[in-house]
Amino acid sequence: MKHARLGLLILWLLLLALLGWFASQHLKIGTDLRSFMPAPDTPDQKLLMEQVGEGPGSRLLLLAIDGGNDVQKATWSRGLATALRKDPDFTQVVNGDFDMGALDENLLPYRYLLSPTLDTQAFDEDYLADQLQQRLDDLSSPAASLLKRLLPRDPTLEVLKIAERWTPPHSPDVREGVWFSSKGEALLLAQTRGAGFDPATQGEAVEHIRTALAALPGGKDARLTISGPGYFTVLVNAQTREQADWIGRISTVGFIVLMLLAYRSVRSLLLGALPVATGALAGIAALLAMFPEVHGITLAFGFTLLGVAQEYPIRLLSHRRAGESAVASVRGLWPLLLTAIASACIAYLAFYASGVGGLRQLAVFTISGLLAAGLSTRYLLPHLLPAQVRDVADTPGLARLRVWLDALPRPRWLPVPVTLAVLAMLFLAPGPFWQNDLSALTPVPRDLLMTDARLRGELGAPDVRYLLVVQAVDADGVLVASRKLEPVMDSLVKAKALDGYELASVYLPDRATQRARQAKLPDKATLDHDLDAALSGMPFRKDLFAPFVSDVEAARSLPPLTPEAFARSALGQRLAAMLVHRDDHWVGLSTLSGVRDPQAIGHALHATGVDVRLLDLKDASESLVAAYRTRILYAVLAAAALLFVTITVALRSMRRAWHVLAPMTLATFLVLGVERMAGIPISLFHLVALILAAGLGLHYALFFERDTGDAAEQRRTLHATIVCVLSALLVFGMLAWSSIPVLRAIGLTVALGVAFHFCLSIPMAPHVRED
Amino acid sequence: MPLACLAAPTPEPADAKALVASLKRPAPARTPFAEARFMKVLDKPLVVSGELAWLGGDKLERRVDKPAKEVSTIADGEVTQEREGRKPRTFSLKRAPQLRILLDSFVALLGGDASRLDDAFDVKLGRDADRWALTLAPRDPSLAKQIVSIQVYGSGNQPRCMRMNEKDGDTTIDMLGDLAGHMVAEPELADVIAQCGGAM
Repeated sequence: MKHARLGLLILWLLLLALLGWFASQHLKIGTDLRSFMPAPDTPDQKLLMEQVGEGPGSRLLLLAIDGGNDVQKATWSRGLATALRKDPDFTQVVNGDFDMGALDENLLPYRYLLSPTLDTQAFDEDYLADQLQQRLDDLSSPAASLLKRLLPRDPTLEVLKIAERWTPPHSPDVREGVWFSSKGEALLLAQTRGAGFDPATQGEAVEHIRTALAALPGGKDARLTISGPGYFTVLVNAQTREQADWIGRISTVGFIVLMLLAYRSVRSLLLGALPVATGALAGIAALLAMFPEVHGITLAFGFTLLGVAQEYPIRLLSHRRAGESAVASVRGLWPLLLTAIASACIAYLAFYASGVGGLRQLAVFTISGLLAAGLSTRYLLPHLLPAQVRDVADTPGLARLRVWLDALPRPRWLPVPVTLAVLAMLFLAPGPFWQNDLSALTPVPRDLLMTDARLRGELGAPDVRYLLVVQAVDADGVLVASRKLEPVMDSLVKAKALDGYELASVYLPDRATQRARQAKLPDKATLDHDLDAALSGMPFRKDLFAPFVSDVEAARSLPPLTPEAFARSALGQRLAAMLVHRDDHWVGLSTLSGVRDPQAIGHALHATGVDVRLLDLKDASESLVAAYRTRILYAVLAAAALLFVTITVALRSMRRAWHVLAPMTLATFLVLGVERMAGIPISLFHLVALILAAGLGLHYALFFERDTGDAAEQRRTLHATIVCVLSALLVFGMLAWSSIPVLRAIGLTVALGVAFHFCLSIPMAPHVRED
Repeated sequence: MPLACLAAPTPEPADAKALVASLKRPAPARTPFAEARFMKVLDKPLVVSGELAWLGGDKLERRVDKPAKEVSTIADGEVTQEREGRKPRTFSLKRAPQLRILLDSFVALLGGDASRLDDAFDVKLGRDADRWALTLAPRDPSLAKQIVSIQVYGSGNQPRCMRMNEKDGDTTIDMLGDLAGHMVAEPELADVIAQCGGAM
């Protein structure tokens, strides 16, 4: 017998180890927020889904290096930029060490197609004479050294005109050849390949930056400040995890102490943990079997919801009579336990039907987890438990408590005032009902936001919130549309609706524009003639402008510059980030900086007749969250209906079903009312927590409703319920103290829920039959 | 021994310091100038004349009257260039190393600030009777890549000329004060140097 038991234990542990190994080998955790979102409906939402964390602005990390003197900081800046430019995690790294306006050497003849000069000018004698006279004046001015080298090849200074167009309106100071902030830090901008709101890839990117800097000579002394959406994602993620871990450790110790006090057996404690572990691993295995990638949020929510399963072994431990075998005990308990498990699983089916990828995963995880935990409690755990146990019915004080509870009045009218109170609270509650801003649940510390604003201002880095979106059938169409927008945006900048913008056409004009400029370039004979005429009487050296003439000649026969060809140049990455190919069309993404009047921008854009939109990422994401919540609510309603049917069928009595479902429903709404009354807007996390609490409440009500007519068994029920309530209060009550709103939301909701469910299920249960 | 020390000639650095201190003028200090630029891109030198003014602090103004009116102002690290009939042009001082060197040397000299001059340049002093020549080589390696040196010629406590030697061989000479009136329309480099007091 003893051997068989040991064998079973080893077998079970082996199975768990196998599952664990399988999971660790194959589990691919996706952190892309998109797979946890509902299908987008509006065009803005669709764009958001494409752009969540992928917009050029949200993939930017702002870096500031301090420590040491300017030369040292500039060396670090250069070294870091060089290292990161080789790193495939980054698509672009700029630190001011190359001229933003610099045109690649081999693209130089293209300057006549890229610069707008020829739109309004012809390269005739008058224009050239005027330009040359200006250059002569320039040579006698302080700007001489700037222009001297350009002169032979580019007397009309097209390169400078292009540079002016390409340089962001607010670029930082350049010292020692790199960008410096007004506080004396070396500044860099790094664009990551990974999405901005993906903590995994952003975490790697941040790690790479730190390692690269530390690997530089003296780099360990450098003080690095990182900012930007990606960094915040990493930081908030780490903070949440750290606090959850810390709270988790304390509540684990509390939980162990509680279990030891309740059952006075280390073995029971250890064995009691096996069903939940089995459930978790089975859930992961089921996910792996059905989905190529598991979403991180699914796992987080899933483990929360699986907390219900801890009840199963607790019920088994508490309901065992002295001298009764665990197997016999579980047989007696099973019908009720099965009802609880089955109804929870059936309810979660509604989540599967929701059609949202993440919710489906959640359903698969919880249903398989609960089934595995329940079945292992029924068929494995009883065989392992010690043959002799203390009957918890004899726990001191328990009898008196039960008698007192039984003596409490159970007014039939109780639901009426509770319902009224809930309704009153829901209607009178202050503030908005729903929390649509997911970022409010994981707030970034204020000082970090201040640093971000400062660095963003100094670097002239774009806003993360707004994006200008142009759509066309091909890349050239986007460029044509962008070009039409340029004058509109310029007047908006002048009207102070925003500080600056970046349009793809600023970097690369469309094909037709390039062709038109090309057509205006004079042929060699004409240019030679006009240039000679313009030069007469000027002190310029003979043949000085031969490179100019040959460049113009070359430019006349160039094929127009395409985005693909441009992408190979130093600035190409910048353009590549602004021109995105989607299925059957192209999208032009333009970042804006210092947006002050989004409405004026929207109106002005609308008036152009171009297919362009000002995308407010915040608005779009909030509408998406609202849509998501609607799905969850429908799923919850469907789950409630399923639950009602299941319980009624299982108990074969409307009256009994009422005793189970009424306290559960009332308590759930009571939590909602109390939280709303406290001014807390309800978020997705609150909803998930409410579902968990309802699952626990269902158990309390089911067991309290059970009419055994045995006083000792009643005491065991009370014992089991108290252990469950205390452990849930302990774990989630601790979370409620967290400073991170998302943890607090879950903790507070479950803790309140457990308390209300417990308090309501006793007075709403039928009176114990007087024996 | 103490007597021997006193009898020794003033060492050069101290001498340069004393000279720079003697050049100090209260701001605003203005002086007429005539400038000749000898450049490889040109067949003949470019000549302009006007007035240079130190307005105190790091503010310089260079006003050209001939051949065309133009005012350049250096203030707060920005250079603003205003030319008759054209839009003013502004660029960062960092993009014009020539100007930074001009600013550093000019302000330090007119402020009589020997230590500032020493911070920015390797200073050498040559003397010949009453005449002197200060040679300033920029310490900043990136500036030195473009400007080899500045030479200031003078006599007594009057600077007469400033010469800037660029790495590419181009040379600019400014005649200052009364001497500015002596610039000819198409000067030869050697003649101008001779007028300034000769190379030392």
